[in-house]
Amino acid sequence: MLELAAYEGRHRVRGALVAAAAMGAFALLYVFVYPTFAESLGPQIDQLLEAYPDALAKAFGVQTLASIEGYLASELYTFGWLLIVGLYFAYAAASLVATDIERERMDVLLSLPVSRATVVVEKFASLAVPLAALSVVVPVAVVVGTAAVDYPISATDVVALHLLSVPYLTTCAGIGLVASVLADRASVAQRGAVGLLAGLFFAESLLTDTDFEGLGAVSPSRYVDPNAVLIDGEYALGDTAVLVAATLALVALAVLLFRRKDIE
Amino acid sequence: MSAIEVEGLTKAYGELLANDDVTFSVAEGEVFGYLGPNGAGKTTTIRTLLGFQSPTEGSATVLGHDVTDEPELIAAKRRVGYLPASPAFDETVTGREVLDFHESVKGGSRRGDLLDVFDPPLSRPIREYSTGNVQKLGIVQAFMHDPDLVIMDEPTSGLDPLMQREFNEHLRAETERGLTALLSSHVLSEVRRVCDRVGILRAGRLATTERVADLLGRTGKVVRAHVAGAHDPAAFDLPGAHDVTCSTMRGYGDRDADGPVTEVTFTYTGEVDALVERLGAFHFLDLAVEEAPLEDVFMRFYGDDADAVAPDPGSADTADGPDDAVDDRDSRPGSAGGGRDA
Repeated sequence: MLELAAYEGRHRVRGALVAAAAMGAFALLYVFVYPTFAESLGPQIDQLLEAYPDALAKAFGVQTLASIEGYLASELYTFGWLLIVGLYFAYAAASLVATDIERERMDVLLSLPVSRATVVVEKFASLAVPLAALSVVVPVAVVVGTAAVDYPISATDVVALHLLSVPYLTTCAGIGLVASVLADRASVAQRGAVGLLAGLFFAESLLTDTDFEGLGAVSPSRYVDPNAVLIDGEYALGDTAVLVAATLALVALAVLLFRRKDIE
Repeated sequence: MSAIEVEGLTKAYGELLANDDVTFSVAEGEVFGYLGPNGAGKTTTIRTLLGFQSPTEGSATVLGHDVTDEPELIAAKRRVGYLPASPAFDETVTGREVLDFHESVKGGSRRGDLLDVFDPPLSRPIREYSTGNVQKLGIVQAFMHDPDLVIMDEPTSGLDPLMQREFNEHLRAETERGLTALLSSHVLSEVRRVCDRVGILRAGRLATTERVADLLGRTGKVVRAHVAGAHDPAAFDLPGAHDVTCSTMRGYGDRDADGPVTEVTFTYTGEVDALVERLGAFHFLDLAVEEAPLEDVFMRFYGDDADAVAPDPGSADTADGPDDAVDDRDSRPGSAGGGRDA
């Protein structure tokens, strides 16, 4: 058990470290820019927000820029973490099965005494490597960075946000995994998963406060709210449970589909 | 118990039947050649045996395990080695990492011995491998866990002639230890050297299964000779001689002063004594009696002119049934060019 997860996970270490370093640097950049930004605009800072096109403000969940918590919740976490990192996991998961089939590597893998379910689940589990790397490096960068620029932020809330976003990212990966099992070519799976997730993300944020708000319920981004966590210290554990259930359901669907699939 | 049992196996891709009611079995310890031109459906059968795809109809067992039942299939795979036609591995990892992974899943008691013979550069990433080295890595992973059965799809296609010989010797040594093997091929000379029995697949249907020795016996010998004097084919008209061709020339080599020489070739399926007796009447400049190439046999099963070619080798009962079945399939896509590919 777990030989495949360990094998695949080992080969993800370098990529995960690069991604974590890039995302950590990105977070530090945001943090270091904030003092200049806040101090140059002073009390008028939220007037800038009013100048944002409404759709843009909604899309990136901008509630307030007057506090570093509000600033990071929208600029770093909603845009950088939920959207970009979410898409990264959907893309990475979309490659898991389809690439092996496309490159005809799946034959050798399936000739081993392993079940189809094992292949799907352990490949999915190998994404724990980038997930762990990103979820450790980025919060450390944020907490240390904000302290360094003298705009300290609650470490508890940052850690909580990262913990609450783990099932969000696994749900994004789950969408990619299902695409990977459905498509025969990796590029199709990747485009499908990334396109769907981006569509859901923008649909959810733009439909908020409209008659179609209900439609956003199928988007994973509905169930994690960086503003609530960082600004108000509210942890919506019920929403987290929805994401955990969604992840399990997507992985189960991928297993079911892969067990029935003819590898050609 | 048979190592492999295939019963009425049919695999449909829409209208096309890649396998059409294929039935055969491979006994324990046997080396079975699965022959046919490209596109005949050999790979489809192999992929079904390994559970990569499920049959539309019919059933198959490997080492007594039903391949459509996953726990059974996994039990079988512990004792099965598989070598795909073009094995593919993650390009970014080294050969050693691949083998370590395989060893962690299925064991690797033979890994060291195999690497003495098949030695891909293990510390280099696979993207730097030549086709031959990838194939060597494929061979090592297929045999490293000391399987009871190996299933190989065109096993020597990527190997140079020297490695092909090494591979054939390895396979022979392993089968002497009791290994069962199924290998697909469209190269008959290869199959003839290593297989006990062959199944010939044509446009998805199994035309025949036969022992290699019987197949060779049925095709007889090819006789090639240069005989002094001018002769016509009637001079070699003895029972069992087929397709006699004669051509008379002025001389043979530098002996052009000795008068006309006749070059004669024919296929002979009769008694050897009778052949020697008849040939004794001639003066030979040279004589070669060779095994008929399996390609000729192949043509009987694949060629569109199957009836016209077939001499009566004395085992018509076994030949006619499958041939009739084959003729029915002539309108199938891919069948027309099959004989030429082979």
